[in-house]
Amino acid sequence: MLFLLASCAVWAQDTIMLPSVEVEADAIRPNQAEAAMERKMDTALLKRLNTITMSQLLIQHSPVFIKTYGPGGVATASFRGTTASHTLVLWNGFQINAPSLGQVDFSTIPVYMTEQVALKWGSGTSANSGGLGGVINIDNNQHFGEKLILDLKQTYGSFNTFGSYITAGYSWASHLLRVKAYRTSSDNDFEYLNIGVIPHQVMKQKNGEYVDYGLMPEYQWRRRKSLITIVSWNQWSDRNCPQIMPNVNNDNTREYTDNGYSRNFVSYKTYWQTGKIETKAAYFYEKQHYFLESYTDIGTPVTQINSKNDANVVHGIADLYQDIYRSWKLNAKIQYDYEEVVSNNYTGVKDRDILSFYAAVTGKLLKPLDLRLTLRNDWVDWESKGFFPTATLSYNSLFVRGLTLNVGYSHNYRNPSLNDLYWYPGGNENLRPEDGRTIDGNISFNRYFGSLSVESTIGTYYSKVKDWIQWVPTTYRYWIPENVNTVIAYGTEVHLKLNYHINNWNFSLTGNYVYSHTTDESDQQLIYIPLHHANAFAEIKWKTWNMTYTVEYTGERKTSMNPNDFYGFSLDQYTLQHASLGKQIKKFYAECRVNNIFDVQYMAVLWRPMPGRSYEVSLNYKF
Amino acid sequence: MKRTILFLSLIIAITFASCKKKETPQPTPQPADRGLFILNEGTFTYANSSLSYYDFATNTVENNLFFRVNNAPIGDVGQSLTLIDNDLYIVVNNSKYIYKVDAKTIQYKTKIEGFTSPRYMLQVSADKAYVTDLVSTGFWVLNLNTLEKTFVETGNTTEAIVKVGNEVFMSNWSNYYTTTETSNHSIQVIDCVNDTLVETIDVAQEPNSMVVDKYNHIWVSCSGGYMPPQDPAIICIDAATHQIIKRFDLASGADYPSYLTIDGAGENIYFMNGGYGTLNIYKMSVDATEIPDTPFVTSDGKVFYNLKIDPTSGDLYVTDAKNYVVNGDLVRYSADGTLIGTYELGLIPSYMLFN
Repeated sequence: MLFLLASCAVWAQDTIMLPSVEVEADAIRPNQAEAAMERKMDTALLKRLNTITMSQLLIQHSPVFIKTYGPGGVATASFRGTTASHTLVLWNGFQINAPSLGQVDFSTIPVYMTEQVALKWGSGTSANSGGLGGVINIDNNQHFGEKLILDLKQTYGSFNTFGSYITAGYSWASHLLRVKAYRTSSDNDFEYLNIGVIPHQVMKQKNGEYVDYGLMPEYQWRRRKSLITIVSWNQWSDRNCPQIMPNVNNDNTREYTDNGYSRNFVSYKTYWQTGKIETKAAYFYEKQHYFLESYTDIGTPVTQINSKNDANVVHGIADLYQDIYRSWKLNAKIQYDYEEVVSNNYTGVKDRDILSFYAAVTGKLLKPLDLRLTLRNDWVDWESKGFFPTATLSYNSLFVRGLTLNVGYSHNYRNPSLNDLYWYPGGNENLRPEDGRTIDGNISFNRYFGSLSVESTIGTYYSKVKDWIQWVPTTYRYWIPENVNTVIAYGTEVHLKLNYHINNWNFSLTGNYVYSHTTDESDQQLIYIPLHHANAFAEIKWKTWNMTYTVEYTGERKTSMNPNDFYGFSLDQYTLQHASLGKQIKKFYAECRVNNIFDVQYMAVLWRPMPGRSYEVSLNYKF
Repeated sequence: MKRTILFLSLIIAITFASCKKKETPQPTPQPADRGLFILNEGTFTYANSSLSYYDFATNTVENNLFFRVNNAPIGDVGQSLTLIDNDLYIVVNNSKYIYKVDAKTIQYKTKIEGFTSPRYMLQVSADKAYVTDLVSTGFWVLNLNTLEKTFVETGNTTEAIVKVGNEVFMSNWSNYYTTTETSNHSIQVIDCVNDTLVETIDVAQEPNSMVVDKYNHIWVSCSGGYMPPQDPAIICIDAATHQIIKRFDLASGADYPSYLTIDGAGENIYFMNGGYGTLNIYKMSVDATEIPDTPFVTSDGKVFYNLKIDPTSGDLYVTDAKNYVVNGDLVRYSADGTLIGTYELGLIPSYMLFN
């Protein structure tokens, strides 16, 4: 059955990858060795799906697995069988992983706030530390000379879920001013079968309301050979946290988060015929406040947890690209990061400096052979963490057009998060960074056959992470993080995308299948990492009509490190199917969408309810 | 057309792949007449607490009794068990409720909800029980007939609970997350006829467990706290006079006495002690004038988590939590400290109760 699934997934892909459009900045195009360990997500797809969150986008359209606590709840990524801390997220080149926890909550990133999403793995992660599983690049991009920019979108769906989105601005020949803003809210009170109570009971989720809003003003000034960009990404989110299934009647308990961030940067790019240099500086502020309150029956408030983390981060980057000789190109980068966290979970303010030197050369070794070599040297708190090399070799078949073979080796590391180092009690200042080595290879075949385009990749990876940080218990009954484990992750990834157009019709089919085997020294699969997961997306366009169908499959997951989880505590596999139908009417686009068509009752996290079938309508106006 | 067929077959393949059914619950053997209930805490916030039973006659353990009988989890962090008549009460700390089940069949009877952080339950009269609370400054009075509860404010949080005559002694172990500053180093004495606070006895930092010996003396282990560690001690109080009659001070930072328990005759106390990484079991006569230097049972690499003594045979039952992410073990030692056997339990096995 799995083989069938895999082979179907192989057959089942669609969308056409458009090359990156930002021509003026990318004076130098990447060679195959540079593109081998990366996948850009279809920009047209991003535009169409821009009212969903990054977590939904990734689980439905990419090989990245998402562990989600439900709508309005935390969603973290597992890239190639690693954990949330091993997925590095870069926004226009700046790390946005919270320095306190080291992770990114993908439920707080609306696709609307971005124009480009790219996934990188193995040697593709070489420019930064931390992405031992992979890197997700989120970038903004807007063209000059488009005059009035106006995009309005309103959605309304089940559980009183609203979304309002606006992009407004003006793009002159050399100036660009744009503001993006959005607000989403939901009562999030879906019905579900509560299997955590006796007897099992259909009930509505309580205390799941959320409101998120964001604002992103942007200004760009293009001159003959330079570009200045100023962007400020601000978000606020107020979310209640629903109780787990057995605890639903705890009306004397209130749990909520008050989070937000402000990410700001200025960039100056200057380019010449054979290269470019970009210098940029950023200031990020992130607030993570978590409250858990409960009351006695006489109403006495008993504030149990009031956790406040405020992070201030400064980044400075100078990034040079230069043609050297014939096909050979150089990329050199110096980066400085300063992270500071003010938290009532630490004793005092804690901070860290990271200085990083990076160089990459790419070029043709022989006619069909592309090579990329990189080397990075990082200094944390003015102490060298060593040298980290990567190598990628690509062979472009001379016999079969569109066929390439790629192999890569990478050595990288991840610094402990500030929580790991300084959490009170338990934080361990003597932690070593995690050290990861990966070998990977893939075969890709991308080609047009008349009106049919094929984009396919089959790949495999093997990673070894030493000094894996894990919180372990102590006799004092609080936990301490230690470098306890060596984790081995290996697996296979299959990606296929087909697109076919004829007359007024366009058919596309995309699919991803991932096998990820990740074990620690006890030889057990790590918890919450499915051995198998897959997704498929089909889209049919006819004149002004558009129809989509999405399937996402998540395999069984363990919630303990036992060889066999007790059936009550392991998570069954599930398949969700979603469909949409839309029509373009002049400048308007109207769409209706059904999520979880077959009303599957499932759990993504133990005892966290998930919504059954739900509906959404949306209306978009684009000038 | 071909693509449509392929696509449909993909959907069918995935749909079928997801049709694997959950294992059906097996008929559950009922707890025997003589044995040991073990409550496995489970992982905090995972609600994977479970109930195990060790049958003396067959020398075997049955796991996941509660789930297999009732097809639902116990909840988040099973804290303690109390047997009253034929009913077993399961106090579920982070789920903030108490399950009442039939002690013979483990069949669900009812659920008492609305606590703030319940810890231990003790019957104090024919129709009344007390429930201590980790974060509320007081305790709950539970009417065993109506299962209605009221909260009695005492000024400090409550943890371990013992009864001597008409007085109930509650230790004040925690001051975590409380809105009010609590002392964190006292025993509160409650008149269990009127449910009123009679006296507060000052002991040492973090009194975590208590037992009553044959002289009606109350033994208290005080772990001393951490960061910074301070003044761990084993203290003996005369229940009649409320006076401290013996006090054994231990080494700050090196000692962390906890899980104090006593044999059936009330003649020897047992407790766990140790520093970072290792907890061993110590045995001490209630008449002793010095605290033992050498362990009675050493952990030998096990992660000792809780301890009970069989009141009849004197055998030691210890839970081993291992690495807290795999199932722990029940480890049985004879009265002289010889290892008899180990039996697999659930995640983080802790509270034990003989029936």
